[in-house]
Amino acid sequence: MTKTGMIDFRGVNKWFGALNVLKDITLSVEPREVVVVCGPSGSGKSTLIRCVNGLEAIKDGDLVVDGQRLGDPATNMTQLRTEIGFVFQSFNLYPHKTALENVTLAPIHVRKTPRAEAEKAGRELLAKVGLADKVNAYPAQLSGGQQQRVAIARCLGMRPKIMLFDEPTSALDPEMISEVLDVMVAVAEEGMTMMVVTHEMGFARKVAQRVVFMDAGAIVESGTPDEFFSHPRTDRSRAFLSKILRH
Amino acid sequence: MLENFSFRTIVEYLPLFGQGLVTTVWLSALSFVGALAVGIVLCAMNLQRGWLFRTPAKAYIDAVRATPLLAQLYFLYFGLPRLGFVLPELVVGILALSLNSGAYVAEIIRAGILSIPRGQVEASVASGMTYVQRMRLVVLPQAFKVTIPPLLGQAIVLVKDSALLSLISVAELTRAGQLLASDRFMPAEGFLTIAAFYLLLYYCLKGLATLSGRWLGTAGART
Ligand SMILES: Nc1ncnc2c1ncn2[C@@H]1O[C@H](COP(=O)(O)OP(=O)(O)O)[C@@H](O)[C@H]1O
Ligand SMILES: [Mg+2]
Repeated sequence: MTKTGMIDFRGVNKWFGALNVLKDITLSVEPREVVVVCGPSGSGKSTLIRCVNGLEAIKDGDLVVDGQRLGDPATNMTQLRTEIGFVFQSFNLYPHKTALENVTLAPIHVRKTPRAEAEKAGRELLAKVGLADKVNAYPAQLSGGQQQRVAIARCLGMRPKIMLFDEPTSALDPEMISEVLDVMVAVAEEGMTMMVVTHEMGFARKVAQRVVFMDAGAIVESGTPDEFFSHPRTDRSRAFLSKILRH
Repeated sequence: MLENFSFRTIVEYLPLFGQGLVTTVWLSALSFVGALAVGIVLCAMNLQRGWLFRTPAKAYIDAVRATPLLAQLYFLYFGLPRLGFVLPELVVGILALSLNSGAYVAEIIRAGILSIPRGQVEASVASGMTYVQRMRLVVLPQAFKVTIPPLLGQAIVLVKDSALLSLISVAELTRAGQLLASDRFMPAEGFLTIAAFYLLLYYCLKGLATLSGRWLGTAGART
């Protein structure tokens, strides 16, 4: 057997009806590695990372996450998901729960962490993302940037091995983007294995080991941030970069 | 016309109206609890993926919504004894109202559950919650708030529908009006009085709906 990464796509294909959204994807993410995924809208970036925690099922090929093959009867998907944090573009906080409750809900009910312990950890995490004063606030009382930081703390509360981010700053007002990116940088620097769909070049240059460029469901190009941003090799990646650099 | 209106007779019959009112209230309350039970089960069946539970639930809901309550009531009233179940009228009445209202309650609850954004479900799935956990912790607490006002609306409908039980001689409010009408040939007195009582019940439930709306409104500000 070849060496296995933390996340290992081997010839993965996926269809939505007649649309081949993921075309023969082969990609391995090592433990503690940060991979940034970029590409035009509709190129399959969300679908790619949603496959990793089984929010989407793959059609053929193998996808091995933390040593477990997805779709294998021996793989307990619910269990595996507790090891994978997912940060959504639209935050998806639980509106009927406070910031602290959002963070402690899964640790208490899924991990079975004693409440007091989970709350202590939850407060620490909220402090870490700069929201110590918002523990009792409801999502509707928080700005977008604050909500996204709570969402990141909510994932960290499960002490995951992997974190997936789907355009975490795309729904934010420009002045709130950096507060979220700063938190993500801190998470990356602690050695988290991450796949991040984003067009934030600054973030990619700072913490990513690799940038993967997708177009029309396929990985077209992959390289270090410096290689990719300074010397894109394909016409499609050059066209894409010129578009995101224009604003 | 009003000079012929006999307030004295109404007062004389007041104890009878009172009993009718009490009966209407508790039989409606019991039927509503029954409707909630029927509705929850039907809705759970209807939300399953496979057809095995879904199809019968959908067929039942359609059948109830497509036929008059009176026909359903007679169906049970005359049909059950034939099957060997001889039940008191009151029980048949409560059963009919529960089974009928349950179909509407099922749809109200389903709409509430489906109103929860997909992202909420995805967030809970992604955190490793089981189906039961995400229903209990994430979906139902939010759906609950959305369903309270329409459920109270259904309760108002149920109270009015309970008048049909007078036709299988359950001694509820409308029956009291009928008695006054037929004993004394005073339909105006009889039916205007019960109308007033139904109005009273309506305002009670509407008040409750407003209160719950206010409570949910403050809770809503937090959502
Ligand atoms: N649930 C779905 N059903 C059908 N088509 C979908 C679904 N989700 C995404 N798609 C399609 O798959 C393609 C890739 O989508 P997505 O992974 O969201 O792209 P990206 O995140 O790169 O914008 C798009 O053409 C999109 O319209
Ligand atoms: Mg996307």
